Amino acid sequence: MKKRWFPLVSFVMILSLFLAACSGNKQQTSTPKNDSNGEATSEPKAGGVVTYAVDQAPEGFFDPAFSGSFIDSEVQKFMTEDIYKVDDNLKYVPNLATWEISEDKKTYTFKLKQGVKWHNGEELTVEDWKYALEVLAHPDYDGPRFNYVENIVGAKEMKEGKADHISGIEVIDPYTMKITFNEVRINNLENLWPTPMPRKHYEGIAVKDLSKSDQVRKNPVGLGPFKVKSMKPGEYIEFERFDDYWQGKPLLDGVVVKVIDPSVAAGALEKGEIDLLAIRPADLEQVSKIPHVRVEEANGVSYSYVGLRFGHRDQKAMKSVADFEKFKDQNLRHALLYAINRDALVNAYMAGKAKVTNTVIPSTFWVAADPKELNDYKYDPEKAKKLLKEAGYVDKDGDGFVEDPSGKKFTISFGHYAGPATFEGRAQAIIQSWRDIGIDAKLATGSLIEFNLYNEMKDNDDPSLEAFFGSWYVGADPDPTGLWGSHAEWNYGRYVDEEGDALIKETSSEKAFDDAYRKEAFVKWQKHFNEKLWALPLWEVIDLYAVNNRLQGVHINALTSLNDVHKWYVAE
Amino acid sequence: MLQYTIRRLLGMIPMLLLISFVVFTLAKMMPGDPFGGEIDPTRTDPKYIEEMREKLGYNDPIYVQYWRWITKFLQGDFGISTTHKMPASEIIMERIPNTLLLAVTSLVITYVFAFFMGMYAGRKPYTISDHVIAGYNYIALAVPSFVAAIVAIYFFSFKLNLFPYSGSVAIGLQPGTWEYYVSRLHHVALPALVLGLMSTASYTQFLRNDIIENSRKDYVRTARAKGVKESKIYNKHILRNSMIPLVTFLGFDLVTLVSGAVITETIFTYPGLGQLFLQSVATRDYAVVMSITMLLSIFTLLGNLIADLLYGIVDPRIRLE
Repeated sequence: MKKRWFPLVSFVMILSLFLAACSGNKQQTSTPKNDSNGEATSEPKAGGVVTYAVDQAPEGFFDPAFSGSFIDSEVQKFMTEDIYKVDDNLKYVPNLATWEISEDKKTYTFKLKQGVKWHNGEELTVEDWKYALEVLAHPDYDGPRFNYVENIVGAKEMKEGKADHISGIEVIDPYTMKITFNEVRINNLENLWPTPMPRKHYEGIAVKDLSKSDQVRKNPVGLGPFKVKSMKPGEYIEFERFDDYWQGKPLLDGVVVKVIDPSVAAGALEKGEIDLLAIRPADLEQVSKIPHVRVEEANGVSYSYVGLRFGHRDQKAMKSVADFEKFKDQNLRHALLYAINRDALVNAYMAGKAKVTNTVIPSTFWVAADPKELNDYKYDPEKAKKLLKEAGYVDKDGDGFVEDPSGKKFTISFGHYAGPATFEGRAQAIIQSWRDIGIDAKLATGSLIEFNLYNEMKDNDDPSLEAFFGSWYVGADPDPTGLWGSHAEWNYGRYVDEEGDALIKETSSEKAFDDAYRKEAFVKWQKHFNEKLWALPLWEVIDLYAVNNRLQGVHINALTSLNDVHKWYVAE
Repeated sequence: MLQYTIRRLLGMIPMLLLISFVVFTLAKMMPGDPFGGEIDPTRTDPKYIEEMREKLGYNDPIYVQYWRWITKFLQGDFGISTTHKMPASEIIMERIPNTLLLAVTSLVITYVFAFFMGMYAGRKPYTISDHVIAGYNYIALAVPSFVAAIVAIYFFSFKLNLFPYSGSVAIGLQPGTWEYYVSRLHHVALPALVLGLMSTASYTQFLRNDIIENSRKDYVRTARAKGVKESKIYNKHILRNSMIPLVTFLGFDLVTLVSGAVITETIFTYPGLGQLFLQSVATRDYAVVMSITMLLSIFTLLGNLIADLLYGIVDPRIRLE
């Protein structure tokens, strides 16, 4: 008799759990909807502390020369400052120093601002910058940034231990320094390490011990508007105002950088515990319902594409070898892109927060081609089928899928990496688009591939990745050589295109010191790429940030939300 | 008993070697390495990656790498973390106090609740209360810890404002002050409650079943016949005998103390060993991964040994030779 109670009781308990969950949801949906009306202009005033949240723990370096992660570089923006900065059009403009370029375009003379103070009260001189450059070129240096000094005359010699300083650096007076590069390049400046190191603060520490020293990890000294007050590794960093900041006293009393798990982001925003955080398109709906939070967006500098395989990389010769013929036909490549309804994908899987693109230079760059100058490959399955037919891809055995011109079965194995839930749908949608025009496409390995494994497969030219999904974040330098040059390590499609290489080279030639010429050269290459379609450009990502309305003065651009943080203020 | 202990300790050596070999090989066979994850073309230089791989010996055959690692490990050099560029031992030591605090608190919660629920259910089996207790325990066992953690954060942190939702201490407090320790406990409470209350099932049900079983034994009947008070029979005679099987769990609990709760720590951004382990696997930080694994293996083996020794002490029927 008594036993009957058991299922009933458990049932009631389970039910109550569900009810609890449901009622929780209801409460959320019933909060009034609100669009970003938070740009209320109030007078900037001093005081207050804001919280900036990151969803991954920083690795704990407070000197950019030693860190490799994106989160670390974000955190450092509160307390470091560079020789140059990048403006909203992603042009490099003077910050701590101005510069002049010599007649032969090899020597840059930098003039430092006077009276800039480190957090420990010392004044910044060019010696601090020279010290930083020589740390990077030191044979014992264990960070990843040697490529930011290698173009300076004498840096390689120092790295190899043949010299104890970089011969191409010449200090003229405490505020003037000449740097000579080994070659004329348009982007010598972009590839020059811009962050001085507090030489006095690091005094007595051997270069090989710097990265583990307390001076870099626990009590760092920078030039930025805030200085580190306290921290708990993996949890938070507390910054306080630096009164002697060279651009004037910051408005805020302090900033807290807090590490949170993405699953609690929306709740913490609603509760007002977080003032600024980058969010994912999937969180957009939930976050935009919070009345005191506005969502700001900016065209970012990352984009996604579908890579196509043309060969493999000869690792010894460091060259791509085009020996895989599947995608050799240009009409086929065009058909593959016409077949994909990119607008629909963006709406379905990215909450509409991406911009369809037909080039691999993000549109925020001043050198990006006007979309009107490029073929826009608008979704047109009929045209795709026609192109296939013209290229000789027709269904000969009547199984509903085309054969290649020689009559063999034609299949495409498409790979995608694992991640948030939307990735599965997006990968299947691309495959289905191709099946719809009669191409037998399949998901490589049968499922989404773990990210590290996926990267390794791309590095090793795994045969199952005939086509693959990829994304790049390109930073502030638009030079496409490292990603799309024929013999670049990260040209994962391994195509060889000498004509394209010549066009890329033109974008950084001596003539390109003239902006108009440089832009023209970039447009020429983009047109060429757009026609050849070595990879299928999909969309540019739009960066989304959730900002609490109490935080004002935030200026977001393509690279970051942390611009001019000394101008942030709190409006109650 | 001493002889037995020494024999067991000696027996652990080949076992640990075997474990180290298997785990090292598995770790190295994971696709990618610390430099192969997300490539940021603006910051990473292919030449640097190649140089580092060569310098750290990732291009050597695996047995060479293993030999290099194990000889250093035996000399107490646990390697340098590639992510944090700090000795792995330092990073682990930084996390251990957090993990210990969380583990001890949650174990105490588990013990207290399981003890009372088990006692009660064992004394009144097949009643409604027994079923409610069993129902609760199995639901708690079945609910994934991340769901429990998020629901708990939603209600207790965001709606009721009772507990903080992340971190191990409030921002800016100085270690050593009274507020600091109060804040530590305040921060550890919610994750510990989630962990502790969700894992009472095995203790409760074991205790309950043993009590039921013992209550049918002859010595209980004798005691009843003598007229011993019912509460005394349960709280003294039966309970003492029913505790014996629970000793097995003690061994495992020793591992729980250091292993950390991977998922709960991650959701609460509580910097313990579990969170560190997860991050290190994701970034292929071999030195940290291997050090934590070896630490856990040693604790597991020690835990088993202690459990076996305790058996001998609490149960006179077992003799260890």
